[in-house]
Amino acid sequence: MTIREQIQEIIDREPVALFMKGTPDRVMCGNSDRALRALWAAGAPVTGVDILPDPLIREELSALSGWPTIPQVFIKGELIGGADICEELYSSGELQQKLDEALGTEREQMVKTAAVQA
Amino acid sequence: MSTESIRVLLAQAFPDAVEIGVEDRTGGGDHFQVTVTSPSFDGLPLIEQHRLVNAALAARLADGTIHELRIRTKGTG
Repeated sequence: MTIREQIQEIIDREPVALFMKGTPDRVMCGNSDRALRALWAAGAPVTGVDILPDPLIREELSALSGWPTIPQVFIKGELIGGADICEELYSSGELQQKLDEALGTEREQMVKTAAVQA
Repeated sequence: MSTESIRVLLAQAFPDAVEIGVEDRTGGGDHFQVTVTSPSFDGLPLIEQHRLVNAALAARLADGTIHELRIRTKGTG
């Protein structure tokens, strides 16, 4: 699969995909950390995808999403935004609401990592 | 890149803005916090508001001049 196909598959497959610098257990950027914390606080299951292994991953992701910066958060295939939006939606309660609607209130919370093979 | 040149780009994109704030977060000219209050945002979901700001600064984001961009948008409605 091409890089873009792999990215699309992760977006389609994972309940909550967080494209980030580093991985959830080894976050390499303050903004990725902010998004991760907001998601976790809102009770989201999180699949972290590291974009650092190859510049093409970020390039293809931004081409696909139309969003220029990292991190990028997708819930059930829908782009939610970056760290600022995650924090703002968390503060207003809308992030939890979005998660409840998309994944149900009984969702299991866990953190995992998915990789794009460059 | 200076805060003033970012302010100019935002002012061009949002001529009706009632507030445009630009802060250089690290003093290095590549980490910015921008705040825009404009009727252009009224009724738009947050993600679409941020898309408009990203679009205004697209060239600088694409060429890496802006390394980090934090965005705060507000409508006037």
